[in-house]
Amino acid sequence: MALRAVVRSLSELCITVGVLIVLFVVYLLYWTGLRADSASDDEIARLHKQWAAGPVDGGAPGGGTPEETGGSPSRGQDTTGDGQAGGTAERGAAPGTARGTAPGGYRSGNSFAVMYIPRFGGGWSKPVLENTGKQTLRKGLGHYTRSAPLGAKGNFAVAGHRRTYGDPFKDFPRLRPGDPVVVTDGDTWYTYTIVARPYRTLPSDTGVLDAVPAPVDEAATPFDRPGRYLTLTTCDPEWGSSHRLIAWGRLDATQSASEGKPDALTR
Amino acid sequence: MYGWIWRHLPGNVWVRTLISIVLIVGVVFLLFQYVFPWAEPLLPFNDVTVDGAAPAGHAAATALKGNVA
Repeated sequence: MALRAVVRSLSELCITVGVLIVLFVVYLLYWTGLRADSASDDEIARLHKQWAAGPVDGGAPGGGTPEETGGSPSRGQDTTGDGQAGGTAERGAAPGTARGTAPGGYRSGNSFAVMYIPRFGGGWSKPVLENTGKQTLRKGLGHYTRSAPLGAKGNFAVAGHRRTYGDPFKDFPRLRPGDPVVVTDGDTWYTYTIVARPYRTLPSDTGVLDAVPAPVDEAATPFDRPGRYLTLTTCDPEWGSSHRLIAWGRLDATQSASEGKPDALTR
Repeated sequence: MYGWIWRHLPGNVWVRTLISIVLIVGVVFLLFQYVFPWAEPLLPFNDVTVDGAAPAGHAAATALKGNVA
Protein backbone atom coordinates (compact mmCIF):
# COMPACT_ATOMS: atom_id res chain seq x y z
CA MET A 1 0.00 0.00 0.00
CA ALA A 2 2.78 2.38 0.97
CA LEU A 3 4.74 1.56 -2.17
CA ARG A 4 1.70 2.25 -4.31
CA ALA A 5 1.32 5.68 -2.70
CA VAL A 6 4.97 6.51 -3.34
CA VAL A 7 4.81 5.47 -6.99
CA ARG A 8 1.61 7.38 -7.52
CA SER A 9 3.00 10.53 -5.91
CA LEU A 10 6.15 10.31 -8.03
CA SER A 11 4.13 9.89 -11.22
CA GLU A 12 1.96 12.84 -10.37
CA LEU A 13 5.04 14.91 -9.62
CA CYS A 14 6.59 14.04 -13.00
CA ILE A 15 3.37 14.89 -14.83
CA THR A 16 3.16 18.19 -12.95
CA VAL A 17 6.72 19.13 -13.81
CA GLY A 18 6.13 18.20 -17.46
CA VAL A 19 3.00 20.32 -17.65
CA LEU A 20 4.87 23.21 -15.98
CA ILE A 21 7.65 23.04 -18.57
CA VAL A 22 5.19 22.96 -21.46
CA LEU A 23 3.35 25.95 -19.99
CA PHE A 24 6.62 27.84 -19.58
CA VAL A 25 7.55 27.21 -23.21
CA VAL A 26 4.13 28.42 -24.28
CA TYR A 27 4.69 31.50 -22.14
CA LEU A 28 8.09 32.21 -23.71
CA LEU A 29 7.27 31.51 -27.33
CA TYR A 30 3.77 32.83 -27.47
CA TRP A 31 2.69 34.86 -24.50
CA THR A 32 5.69 37.19 -24.23
CA GLY A 33 5.33 37.89 -27.95
CA LEU A 34 1.67 38.78 -27.60
CA ARG A 35 2.35 41.03 -24.63
CA ALA A 36 5.34 42.69 -26.31
CA ASP A 37 3.49 43.29 -29.58
CA SER A 38 0.61 44.92 -27.79
CA ALA A 39 3.00 46.99 -25.64
CA SER A 40 4.94 48.07 -28.75
CA ASP A 41 1.75 49.02 -30.56
CA ASP A 42 0.61 51.00 -27.51
CA GLU A 43 3.92 52.87 -27.38
CA ILE A 44 3.84 53.67 -31.10
CA ALA A 45 0.22 54.79 -30.90
CA ARG A 46 1.06 56.98 -27.91
CA LEU A 47 4.00 58.52 -29.76
CA HIS A 48 1.92 59.27 -32.84
CA LYS A 49 -0.76 60.84 -30.66
CA GLN A 50 1.87 62.92 -28.87
CA TRP A 51 3.42 64.02 -32.14
CA ALA A 52 0.07 64.89 -33.62
CA ALA A 53 -0.92 66.89 -30.54
CA GLY A 54 2.48 68.41 -29.81
CA PRO A 55 2.69 71.41 -32.12
CA VAL A 56 -0.91 72.37 -31.41
CA ASP A 57 -0.36 72.30 -27.65
CA GLY A 58 2.82 74.27 -27.94
CA GLY A 59 1.54 76.87 -30.32
CA ALA A 60 -1.64 77.93 -28.61
CA PRO A 61 -0.81 79.26 -25.12
CA GLY A 62 2.65 80.73 -25.60
CA GLY A 63 3.72 83.07 -28.32
CA GLY A 64 6.92 81.25 -29.23
CA THR A 65 7.50 78.59 -31.79
CA PRO A 66 6.35 75.14 -30.78
CA GLU A 67 9.92 73.90 -30.91
CA GLU A 68 11.29 76.33 -28.41
CA THR A 69 8.84 77.37 -25.75
CA GLY A 70 5.77 75.24 -25.67
CA GLY A 71 6.82 72.01 -27.26
CA SER A 72 9.05 70.25 -24.83
CA PRO A 73 7.38 70.97 -21.47
CA SER A 74 3.87 70.25 -22.65
CA ARG A 75 5.12 67.02 -24.10
CA GLY A 76 6.48 66.09 -20.73
CA GLN A 77 3.16 66.74 -19.05
CA ASP A 78 1.30 64.69 -21.61
CA THR A 79 2.97 61.56 -20.44
CA THR A 80 3.07 61.99 -16.67
CA GLY A 81 -0.24 60.22 -16.38
CA ASP A 82 1.44 56.96 -17.29
CA GLY A 83 2.97 56.60 -13.85
CA GLN A 84 6.52 56.64 -15.15
CA ALA A 85 9.21 58.09 -12.94
CA GLY A 86 9.27 61.64 -14.15
CA GLY A 87 11.95 63.77 -15.66
CA THR A 88 9.39 66.48 -16.25
CA ALA A 89 11.27 69.03 -14.21
CA GLU A 90 14.42 68.27 -16.12
CA ARG A 91 12.68 68.73 -19.45
CA GLY A 92 10.85 71.79 -18.27
CA ALA A 93 14.01 73.41 -17.01
CA ALA A 94 15.56 73.40 -20.44
CA PRO A 95 12.78 74.61 -22.67
CA GLY A 96 15.19 75.96 -25.24
CA THR A 97 16.63 72.59 -26.18
CA ALA A 98 15.07 71.10 -29.22
CA ARG A 99 13.10 67.98 -28.35
CA GLY A 100 15.09 64.79 -28.51
CA THR A 101 18.43 66.33 -29.26
CA ALA A 102 19.52 67.23 -25.76
CA PRO A 103 21.94 64.63 -24.37
CA GLY A 104 20.20 62.72 -21.63
CA GLY A 105 16.99 64.58 -22.40
CA TYR A 106 15.01 61.39 -22.89
CA ARG A 107 12.82 60.32 -20.02
CA SER A 108 13.98 56.98 -18.66
CA GLY A 109 11.68 54.14 -19.65
CA ASN A 110 9.72 56.32 -22.09
CA SER A 111 9.55 55.84 -25.82
CA PHE A 112 10.83 58.72 -27.90
CA ALA A 113 11.23 57.37 -31.42
CA VAL A 114 10.05 54.71 -33.84
CA MET A 115 12.47 52.56 -35.82
CA TYR A 116 11.77 51.00 -39.22
CA ILE A 117 13.99 48.35 -40.80
CA PRO A 118 12.62 47.30 -44.21
CA ARG A 119 15.00 44.30 -44.25
CA PHE A 120 13.00 42.80 -41.39
CA GLY A 121 9.76 43.16 -43.31
CA GLY A 122 7.66 45.99 -44.67
CA GLY A 123 5.52 46.19 -41.56
CA TRP A 124 8.42 46.03 -39.12
CA SER A 125 8.36 48.98 -36.77
CA LYS A 126 9.33 49.17 -33.11
CA PRO A 127 9.34 51.92 -30.52
CA VAL A 128 12.69 53.00 -29.11
CA LEU A 129 12.66 53.58 -25.37
CA GLU A 130 15.22 55.20 -23.13
CA ASN A 131 17.49 52.81 -21.19
CA THR A 132 18.17 49.11 -21.68
CA GLY A 133 16.56 47.69 -18.54
CA LYS A 134 14.66 44.43 -18.59
CA GLN A 135 11.28 46.10 -18.19
CA THR A 136 12.06 48.53 -20.98
CA LEU A 137 13.13 45.86 -23.45
CA ARG A 138 9.81 44.09 -22.90
CA LYS A 139 8.08 46.95 -24.68
CA GLY A 140 10.43 47.58 -27.57
CA LEU A 141 14.01 48.53 -28.33
CA GLY A 142 16.20 50.18 -25.71
CA HIS A 143 18.49 53.16 -26.24
CA TYR A 144 21.78 52.93 -24.32
CA THR A 145 21.52 55.86 -21.93
CA ARG A 146 25.20 56.76 -22.24
CA SER A 147 25.19 56.76 -26.03
CA ALA A 148 24.47 59.76 -28.24
CA PRO A 149 20.92 61.02 -28.85
CA LEU A 150 19.15 60.26 -32.11
CA GLY A 151 20.74 61.97 -35.09
CA ALA A 152 23.44 63.67 -33.03
CA LYS A 153 27.19 63.48 -33.51
CA GLY A 154 28.44 60.28 -31.91
CA ASN A 155 26.90 56.88 -31.67
CA PHE A 156 23.17 56.31 -31.27
CA ALA A 157 23.13 52.79 -29.77
CA VAL A 158 20.06 50.58 -29.47
CA ALA A 159 19.57 47.08 -28.04
CA GLY A 160 16.75 44.65 -28.78
CA HIS A 161 15.65 41.10 -28.09
CA ARG A 162 16.61 38.48 -30.63
CA ARG A 163 14.06 36.01 -29.29
CA THR A 164 11.05 36.22 -26.98
CA TYR A 165 9.14 39.45 -26.38
CA GLY A 166 8.04 39.74 -29.97
CA ASP A 167 11.38 38.63 -31.48
CA PRO A 168 12.19 42.17 -32.69
CA PHE A 169 15.74 41.38 -33.89
CA LYS A 170 15.08 37.81 -35.02
CA ASP A 171 16.41 38.47 -38.53
CA PHE A 172 19.43 40.43 -37.32
CA PRO A 173 22.00 38.28 -39.20
CA ARG A 174 20.25 39.12 -42.47
CA LEU A 175 21.30 42.77 -42.25
CA ARG A 176 23.61 43.67 -45.11
CA PRO A 177 25.65 46.73 -46.03
CA GLY A 178 23.39 49.29 -47.66
CA ASP A 179 20.27 48.32 -45.72
CA PRO A 180 18.41 51.40 -44.51
CA VAL A 181 17.44 51.82 -40.87
CA VAL A 182 14.94 54.65 -40.55
CA VAL A 183 14.23 56.30 -37.20
CA THR A 184 11.82 59.13 -36.54
CA ASP A 185 11.31 61.25 -33.46
CA GLY A 186 8.21 62.93 -34.82
CA ASP A 187 10.07 65.96 -36.16
CA THR A 188 12.61 64.37 -38.42
CA TRP A 189 13.19 61.18 -40.34
CA TYR A 190 16.73 59.91 -39.87
CA THR A 191 17.89 57.41 -42.47
CA TYR A 192 20.91 55.39 -41.40
CA THR A 193 22.63 52.96 -43.74
CA ILE A 194 24.16 49.73 -42.46
CA VAL A 195 27.86 49.68 -43.38
CA ALA A 196 28.93 46.10 -42.64
CA ARG A 197 27.63 42.62 -42.02
CA PRO A 198 26.72 41.98 -38.37
CA TYR A 199 29.82 41.63 -36.24
CA ARG A 200 29.89 38.84 -33.64
CA THR A 201 31.59 39.64 -30.39
CA LEU A 202 31.64 39.05 -26.65
CA PRO A 203 29.31 40.78 -24.18
CA SER A 204 32.30 42.55 -22.66
CA ASP A 205 33.19 44.31 -25.93
CA THR A 206 31.75 47.65 -24.87
CA GLY A 207 33.97 49.55 -27.29
CA VAL A 208 31.38 48.88 -29.99
CA LEU A 209 29.26 51.61 -28.36
CA ASP A 210 31.98 54.28 -28.45
CA ALA A 211 31.37 57.50 -30.32
CA VAL A 212 33.72 56.11 -32.95
CA PRO A 213 33.05 52.39 -32.49
CA ALA A 214 36.19 50.55 -31.38
CA PRO A 215 35.55 46.80 -31.30
CA VAL A 216 38.09 44.42 -29.79
CA ASP A 217 38.65 42.93 -33.22
CA GLU A 218 40.28 45.91 -34.91
CA ALA A 219 39.68 44.48 -38.36
CA ALA A 220 35.96 45.00 -37.76
CA THR A 221 36.32 48.71 -36.99
CA PRO A 222 33.65 50.28 -39.19
CA PHE A 223 34.59 53.96 -39.10
CA ASP A 224 37.86 55.85 -38.92
CA ARG A 225 36.61 59.33 -38.04
CA PRO A 226 33.89 60.87 -35.86
CA GLY A 227 30.43 61.10 -37.35
CA ARG A 228 26.76 60.41 -36.77
CA TYR A 229 26.53 56.68 -36.29
CA LEU A 230 24.04 54.01 -35.31
CA THR A 231 24.78 50.81 -33.39
CA LEU A 232 22.32 47.94 -33.01
CA THR A 233 23.04 45.12 -30.57
CA THR A 234 21.34 41.81 -29.85
CA CYS A 235 22.31 38.40 -28.51
CA ASP A 236 23.90 35.51 -30.33
CA PRO A 237 23.26 32.60 -30.67
CA GLU A 238 19.55 33.02 -31.10
CA TRP A 239 18.58 31.38 -27.81
CA GLY A 240 21.83 31.98 -25.95
CA SER A 241 23.72 34.81 -24.36
CA SER A 242 27.34 33.85 -24.89
CA HIS A 243 27.91 36.40 -27.66
CA ARG A 244 26.47 39.56 -29.12
CA LEU A 245 25.75 40.61 -32.67
CA ILE A 246 26.53 44.20 -33.58
CA ALA A 247 25.46 46.18 -36.64
CA TRP A 248 26.70 49.66 -37.46
CA GLY A 249 25.15 52.32 -39.62
CA ARG A 250 25.98 55.83 -40.77
CA LEU A 251 23.49 58.69 -40.90
CA ASP A 252 22.91 59.27 -44.58
CA ALA A 253 19.92 61.55 -44.83
CA THR A 254 17.48 63.49 -42.74
CA GLN A 255 14.22 65.02 -43.75
CA SER A 256 11.48 66.84 -41.93
CA ALA A 257 8.44 64.84 -40.89
CA SER A 258 6.29 67.21 -42.92
CA GLU A 259 7.99 66.03 -46.10
CA GLY A 260 6.54 62.57 -45.63
CA LYS A 261 8.23 59.23 -45.35
CA PRO A 262 11.75 58.88 -46.73
CA ASP A 263 12.35 56.92 -49.92
CA ALA A 264 13.75 53.99 -48.00
CA LEU A 265 10.28 53.25 -46.60
CA THR A 266 8.28 53.79 -49.78
CA ARG A 267 10.38 51.70 -52.12
CA MET B 1 -2.16 14.47 -4.64
CA TYR B 2 -4.72 15.04 -7.38
CA GLY B 3 -6.82 12.15 -6.04
CA TRP B 4 -6.71 13.70 -2.60
CA ILE B 5 -7.87 17.06 -3.93
CA TRP B 6 -10.65 15.40 -5.91
CA ARG B 7 -11.89 13.53 -2.86
CA HIS B 8 -11.98 16.68 -0.79
CA LEU B 9 -13.91 18.78 -3.28
CA PRO B 10 -17.58 19.13 -2.34
CA GLY B 11 -20.61 18.28 -4.47
CA ASN B 12 -21.25 15.75 -7.20
CA VAL B 13 -19.08 14.98 -10.21
CA TRP B 14 -20.18 18.03 -12.20
CA VAL B 15 -19.63 20.47 -9.38
CA ARG B 16 -16.23 18.94 -8.72
CA THR B 17 -15.31 19.18 -12.40
CA LEU B 18 -16.30 22.84 -12.46
CA ILE B 19 -14.29 23.63 -9.33
CA SER B 20 -11.31 21.73 -10.78
CA ILE B 21 -11.41 23.79 -13.96
CA VAL B 22 -11.57 27.00 -11.95
CA LEU B 23 -8.61 25.85 -9.87
CA ILE B 24 -6.58 24.96 -12.99
CA VAL B 25 -7.31 28.30 -14.63
CA GLY B 26 -6.36 30.08 -11.41
CA VAL B 27 -3.05 28.26 -11.17
CA VAL B 28 -2.21 28.96 -14.84
CA PHE B 29 -3.04 32.63 -14.31
CA LEU B 30 -0.76 32.82 -11.27
CA LEU B 31 2.02 31.12 -13.24
CA PHE B 32 1.74 33.44 -16.26
CA GLN B 33 1.27 36.57 -14.22
CA TYR B 34 3.81 36.11 -11.46
CA VAL B 35 5.92 32.95 -11.54
CA PHE B 36 7.06 32.91 -15.18
CA PRO B 37 7.94 36.63 -15.38
CA TRP B 38 10.07 36.06 -12.31
CA ALA B 39 11.73 32.92 -13.66
CA GLU B 40 12.28 34.20 -17.19
CA PRO B 41 15.24 36.56 -16.52
CA LEU B 42 17.10 33.63 -14.99
CA LEU B 43 17.35 32.16 -18.48
CA PRO B 44 19.97 33.38 -20.91
CA PHE B 45 18.12 34.85 -23.89
CA ASN B 46 17.43 38.12 -22.16
CA ASP B 47 20.94 39.49 -22.40
CA VAL B 48 21.10 41.62 -25.49
CA THR B 49 23.26 44.50 -24.31
CA VAL B 50 27.00 44.89 -24.39
CA ASP B 51 27.84 45.82 -20.85
CA GLY B 52 30.28 43.14 -19.82
CA ALA B 53 27.79 42.02 -17.20
CA ALA B 54 27.78 38.35 -18.20
CA PRO B 55 28.24 35.99 -15.27
CA ALA B 56 31.81 34.82 -14.64
CA GLY B 57 31.03 31.28 -15.75
CA HIS B 58 29.69 32.58 -19.03
CA ALA B 59 32.70 34.73 -19.67
CA ALA B 60 35.08 31.82 -19.20
CA ALA B 61 33.09 29.58 -21.48
CA THR B 62 32.76 32.20 -24.18
CA ALA B 63 36.41 33.09 -24.23
CA LEU B 64 37.07 29.61 -25.57
CA LYS B 65 34.28 29.79 -28.10
CA GLY B 66 35.54 33.17 -29.15
CA ASN B 67 38.70 31.61 -30.50
CA VAL B 68 36.69 29.38 -32.77
CA ALA B 69 34.60 32.27 -34.01
